[in-house]
Amino acid sequence: MLAIAGTIVFASRADRQARRIRTENEPILGWMSVPFIAHTHHVPASLLFDAIGVQPQAPHDRRSLRRIAHDLNRPVPELIAQLQRAISAAAHPPGGQPQ
Amino acid sequence: MNDQLLAAVSQYGAPALFGIVTIAAIGLPLPITLLLMVAGSMISQGVMDPWWAMAAAGAGAILGDQAGYAIGRWGGPDIVTKLSGLFGKRVNLRAMEAKAKAWGGPGIFITRWLLTPLGPWINLASGTAGYPWRRFLFWDILGEITGAVVFISLGRLFSDRVMALCAVLGDLTWAIAALLVALILGYQLLAYVRRARVK
Repeated sequence: MLAIAGTIVFASRADRQARRIRTENEPILGWMSVPFIAHTHHVPASLLFDAIGVQPQAPHDRRSLRRIAHDLNRPVPELIAQLQRAISAAAHPPGGQPQ
Repeated sequence: MNDQLLAAVSQYGAPALFGIVTIAAIGLPLPITLLLMVAGSMISQGVMDPWWAMAAAGAGAILGDQAGYAIGRWGGPDIVTKLSGLFGKRVNLRAMEAKAKAWGGPGIFITRWLLTPLGPWINLASGTAGYPWRRFLFWDILGEITGAVVFISLGRLFSDRVMALCAVLGDLTWAIAALLVALILGYQLLAYVRRARVK
């Protein structure tokens, strides 16, 4: 009975998570690089680098947000908030069609 | 620490993946499924070579598994007990040996990619139980390559949803494990009832 209950509980949790995949964006976390965040949110990486005021160090600047925050001497949550605002603005441009 | 490992793979690519997967295969509980899917996502973004990623993940995991087997085989039960304590999990070695013997090759295969938390303990137990090395190596290579291909491919396919997909897979794995237990227990119960009726 316990095994059957476990199957039902975990299968329903997996189903709920799977439904959420289609509707919700990935979270922005400290380990992620700016190009990775740009890819998961379908926006150009240059837009996100501009939003946090960083000049990319290489064609593929793969430094984590935590590393960038350390280099800039700024808190990670502040960078995440700036990125979220930029992503939101790109998805809903003022007076324009959402992406 | 998981954040730092993910950042290392994101920044340094295949060499970091190789090192982390090797350590995890020896027994340290690390988020390998998520790391492989992040590698898959990086492949789809064109910043990691697919063959290098597969080779790093497969070779690292096989190397770590072989180290675990060697520790079990030549280190003996005392070192295994010390090691399991070091990794924060005192393992019941006799129970694991019994599982390794009962499951055999398919057990080694399935703990490489589906029931991964059991993998390091099955390696140690296979060594202490004296499971033939060639057979262990065969199932190990088959299982680890399957795991690398499955999770890296999933990361490539769902490259913009790796975190959410990892959560789904975590629950799905437990659902499959619970279903297998239910099926095995149900089969045993049915066999018991049939035997009782015949008597």
